[in-house]
Amino acid sequence: MSRHCLLGRAAATSARTHALVAAITVSVLTGCSVSSRMEPYKRTDAVIGEGEQVVVLARKHHASHETEAAFVDCVSDALAQGSGGLEVHDTVAFEDQLYPWFEPSRAPLSTDELSQLLEKPDVFERVEGTGVRFLVWLDGSTDRVASGGGITCAAGVGGAGCMGLAWWEDDARYDATVWDIHELSSTGTIYADFRGRSTLPAIVIPIPLIARPRAAACRGMTEQLRQFLTSPTSYVPGPDLQ
Amino acid sequence: MRLMESGTTIRHVRCLLIASACAALSACSTSLVVNADFPVPLVDKLPVRVGVLFDETFATYLHEEKIPQQASYSIQLGEANVSMLNQLFSSMFAATEPVGALPLGAGEQQRLDAVIMPELERFEFDVPIQRTDQFVEVWMQYQLRLYDTDGELIAEWPATGYGKAEHGSRGVALNRAAVVAMREAGAEISTEFSAQPAVEYWLEEKQNESALSSGAGRGN
Repeated sequence: MSRHCLLGRAAATSARTHALVAAITVSVLTGCSVSSRMEPYKRTDAVIGEGEQVVVLARKHHASHETEAAFVDCVSDALAQGSGGLEVHDTVAFEDQLYPWFEPSRAPLSTDELSQLLEKPDVFERVEGTGVRFLVWLDGSTDRVASGGGITCAAGVGGAGCMGLAWWEDDARYDATVWDIHELSSTGTIYADFRGRSTLPAIVIPIPLIARPRAAACRGMTEQLRQFLTSPTSYVPGPDLQ
Repeated sequence: MRLMESGTTIRHVRCLLIASACAALSACSTSLVVNADFPVPLVDKLPVRVGVLFDETFATYLHEEKIPQQASYSIQLGEANVSMLNQLFSSMFAATEPVGALPLGAGEQQRLDAVIMPELERFEFDVPIQRTDQFVEVWMQYQLRLYDTDGELIAEWPATGYGKAEHGSRGVALNRAAVVAMREAGAEISTEFSAQPAVEYWLEEKQNESALSSGAGRGN
């Protein structure tokens, strides 16, 4: 192989290394990012009263996706916490108390179906007994929408190390539909879309910079739901986490 | 590009190592006894007294399956099936009692109107191999048969259940998916039993019989 060729290859390798180091530096500097969009829509002025409870349920009738149990728990727990915490009924306990009417294939899909369900013997009394006034139906999921890059690791007598850059993007897209059992109507909906890009740069040691769009969606959704259930009409958009 | 290739190579090597380890040990097996507390269904009791017959196969149902290049599974469903259906039938009928065989003896014939006998006809499951698959899925189909006290078939119908659970620990997720599927099947059994045409007809007959006998009783 000629000297010219060897020099050319070395220059190309050097250029690739510089590009990689530059990419890693940029990714470290920018870190992970989450962008958000929330669209609340409230159509009545109903608010939760003293002694009334809310229950958070997941829509499970889709074949392709299902709202994660962890997301339902996150929203339930967050709604109950803090100084303005609401009375939140346990999801599993509610489904068990109303079994089999809130199983995936039997759960009402509209307020008309809810109305028909409540006409069945003992069902209305059982719901009343739980103290639940508002049903929050969560639908959606967090999915990986893109990923790329790669990391190479090597080990030798002198030590070990990694070099490279990997990245991925998760999209947390959920909507919450709130039903008022007293009025047998839909109170409104909240749509949340949080997209997060995570990076894993590696210069000897991999440094994970993880974005958590699902956790951000939980916080955003909870904040909106709290306002939704406690403010008759005044309504402010959620925090822009971009 | 090279980095992506190396990333893919790492994944391939990892899969190969896991597969090799499984093959070498021949011990990648999951043994599971499905276990759960089933809720009492909120349904109207039908005014009939029913004997419940669980045969040996149903009461000790064991599903064994070896998935090539993955693992072998041994799933015991018998106890959970019996537990769920006992609870279900107790809520659905005015009275229930276990029976051992058909036709019923003279004493049992006096006490009962019919006998229900379930069979777990099919049990299928899917466990993710790749990390992109999120859910463990279970599908099951029961066949329910209602007999009169002489052992004559009144009606039979299938009840299916589908359940899925987020993939976590293999055994835990499979248990959860199986329980969801059983709850689904239980929901179908408890809400649609009296809607089966042959059952509906039989229930009408029973109501007419009891109306007649109470009328005769008043006449006497």
